[in-house]
Amino acid sequence: MRIRNREKPFGIEKPVTARGQIVIIEDRCKGCGFCIEYCPNDVLRLSDKYNSKGYHPPYVAHEEECVDCGFCQMNCPDFAIFSVEVESGEREPAPAESVKR
Amino acid sequence: MNGNGKKKRIGVFVCHCGVNIAGVVDVERVAKALEGYSGVSFSTHYIYMCSEPGQNMILETIREEKLDSIIVAACSPTLHEKTFQSVIELAGLNPYQVEIANIREQDSWVHSDKEKATLKAIKIVKSMVEKVLQNESLEPIRVGVTRRALVIGAGISGIQSALDIADHGYEVLLVEKNPSIGGHMIQLSETFPTLDCSQCIMTPKMVEASRHPNIRILTYHEVESISGYVGNFKVKIRKKPRFVDPDKCTMCADCEDVCPQIVSDEFNMGLSFRKAIYLPFPQAVPGTYTLDIENCLGLLPIRCGKCKEVCEPDAINYDDQETVFEEEVGAVVVSTGYDLYDLNHLGEFGGEKYEDVINGLEFERILSASGPTGGEVRRPSDGKVPKNVVFIQCCGSRDPENHNPYCSKICCMYTSKHAMLYKHHVPDGNATVFYIDVRTGGKNFEEFYQRTIDEDQVLYVRGKVSKVYKEGDKIIVWGVDTLTGRKIEMEADLVVLAMSMVQTDGVNELLKKLRISSDANGWLSEAHPKLRPVESLNAGFYLAGCAHGPKDIPETVSQASAAVAKVGDLFAQEQLLHEPTVVPVDEDLCSGCGICVTICPYSARELDKEKGVVKVNEVLCEGCGACAAACPSGAAQQRNQTDDQIFSMVRAILRG
Ligand SMILES: Cc1cc2nc3c(=O)[nH]c(=O)nc-3n(C[C@H](O)[C@H](O)[C@H](O)COP(=O)(O)OP(=O)(O)OC[C@H]3O[C@@H](n4cnc5c(N)ncnc54)[C@H](O)[C@@H]3O)c2cc1C
Ligand code: SF4
Ligand code: SF4
Repeated sequence: MRIRNREKPFGIEKPVTARGQIVIIEDRCKGCGFCIEYCPNDVLRLSDKYNSKGYHPPYVAHEEECVDCGFCQMNCPDFAIFSVEVESGEREPAPAESVKR
Repeated sequence: MNGNGKKKRIGVFVCHCGVNIAGVVDVERVAKALEGYSGVSFSTHYIYMCSEPGQNMILETIREEKLDSIIVAACSPTLHEKTFQSVIELAGLNPYQVEIANIREQDSWVHSDKEKATLKAIKIVKSMVEKVLQNESLEPIRVGVTRRALVIGAGISGIQSALDIADHGYEVLLVEKNPSIGGHMIQLSETFPTLDCSQCIMTPKMVEASRHPNIRILTYHEVESISGYVGNFKVKIRKKPRFVDPDKCTMCADCEDVCPQIVSDEFNMGLSFRKAIYLPFPQAVPGTYTLDIENCLGLLPIRCGKCKEVCEPDAINYDDQETVFEEEVGAVVVSTGYDLYDLNHLGEFGGEKYEDVINGLEFERILSASGPTGGEVRRPSDGKVPKNVVFIQCCGSRDPENHNPYCSKICCMYTSKHAMLYKHHVPDGNATVFYIDVRTGGKNFEEFYQRTIDEDQVLYVRGKVSKVYKEGDKIIVWGVDTLTGRKIEMEADLVVLAMSMVQTDGVNELLKKLRISSDANGWLSEAHPKLRPVESLNAGFYLAGCAHGPKDIPETVSQASAAVAKVGDLFAQEQLLHEPTVVPVDEDLCSGCGICVTICPYSARELDKEKGVVKVNEVLCEGCGACAAACPSGAAQQRNQTDDQIFSMVRAILRG
């Protein structure tokens, strides 16, 4: 039977479990877009900017949706992206500029 | 002359059926007109041929007159063909040497002109004489029985059926499409008319079924197809991948804790959340987690892997796959239950737009001690305790113009229960029920309903609600009191709709595969509405529970046990007898065109490619005659209903 999907039954928010914080090592990126393609929660987007190799690296568009599933890091051929588990609510504000290594 | 060139000695027995026939047809004249007709050696009439004196008269006449076949001119053969077959068998004749000339349903009941009706009766009887002249003596086809049953659907009806069959000593396969058995009953709070806790009376049955050595529970399985025939079915069953090994899972819930995917919980009717790997409810049978692949983050072959990482007994297997396997059974009980009519059909009540306009099953979960609110009555939008609750009966039922024409039968009672339980939880709240009629036709039902009014002060308003809408924060129920004719406008904090029961999604496709017919409303059809209410017309299939129509639990359980009694009848037989009046193939005439193969509704015919002719599985043939009519070569002749016989019958009728 089809049931009604309620966002907040009895006014209670959806529980949050593991949350992830994404770290992008922009200069390693070659712009293949696999991370964007494989992210099940549509967290990543391709940015307009260029990295030092002249590619467009991804950026984190919806960090609140990241559940630390690690699909991006499993699929990235160049080890340019990974996620770290954070307790819900503990996530740091999305860094203005991602880490450079 | 019969087929062997021997002359037949036929007896004609014309029945008055009281005045049913004799009131319109001059039975004496019919009997006289048949005297001396070709092959007829004896002709008489009597007031009730089916009575014991009538049967005895036939028996004695056969012996005295040395008859070898008879015609009984009476009612439809569906009523008494078997009676007269056994009479002539007693006289030592072959039962296929009796024919029934139907002069009641096809004559006296549909005509009033006595003269014309009498002439018509004479023609009908003469045509049957022509038929019986060429009847062969036949022996029933005999087949063995597989004493093992399949039950499809494991709600209370399926569980009860399985337990009863198993207690009779036969093996049962209990197939359920969901991860656990239990059906709707396990979702209910307390049950009318005794208010016992549904889970408390249901879980012992579930456990008993899971422990019974004769029951094999196949949850998360579905029936793909069924072939074969009564007593000898072959069932293809599809196992859906659960990705968790039930034998290893200890239900520790570690996987659930780490799974990041949160979705609406079906068991709680979307009033709470569950994870993608979940236990449907604490008492689930089998007690195991299930990974719901639709909602898992996994994109084959990768998974987030969090659940597998923490599962200590290593119960999770991401490589689990769908498999199809075959089993042999002799009987099938269909107990696939019901769904509720979709709220969105009721646009005038806002459909699903208003969070506090809910259906009965949602309210059951709110009332349930194991529900999302721990048994406190709160409304879904903000969790407040509702002080004014309006219940509306017959939502989608008894409305042939817009919705379902039938009465869903149980809603009067469960609404009464809902209002009563609400008042037990919120004694200072107001409960109002809008009804068209209150139907309480079960044992102790009326008393229960009266208690709702007398002891719990529930207000019953006879009226129709035409609209439910929102004004600011308030829900407004707008209708009319049909007893006083006054318009009613009422504020409500929560509105509970008694939605119509409907056939379960997907069951109609299943029925097509099983060749079980359903009625105009989608409910399973029984073989006879009064005398064979738990059998399907398709031999070997039995009906139990709400799949056959709306029912409460006591009726569901009774029907399940009744269906099993019929399964027992079948399994008690050494061999099954099948009507021999089937349609074989004359291989010399068959051109192998295969027209009959495509036309046969019972899949009884198949093309033998090597020989280039059609082969018939006589046990599957129901003798409908579709192929006989379609065969362009005259190779498909039904036994005792050959083209020659039909033409002689037509000629007799035309001659008068
Ligand atoms: C709101 C509400 C309150 C009620 N309160 C009461 C009450 O107080 N007292 C009372 O006596 N009755 C009550 N009833 C009625 C009661 O729910 C039913 O009588 C009973 O549950 C019917 O059982 P069932 O086994 O026929 O159907 P179900 O409980 O619907 O079980 C059918 C099972 O078959 C499975 N299934 C369906 N299709 C397939 C398939 N294709 N393959 C395999 N499995 C399949 C389903 O998953 C399900 O498990 C209430 C009903 C409602 C809606
Ligand atoms: S693999 Fe699927 S079920 Fe397991 S934790 Fe991840 S999302 Fe949940
Ligand atoms: S972690 Fe493993 S054992 Fe525990 S509930 Fe999940 S599947 Fe079962």
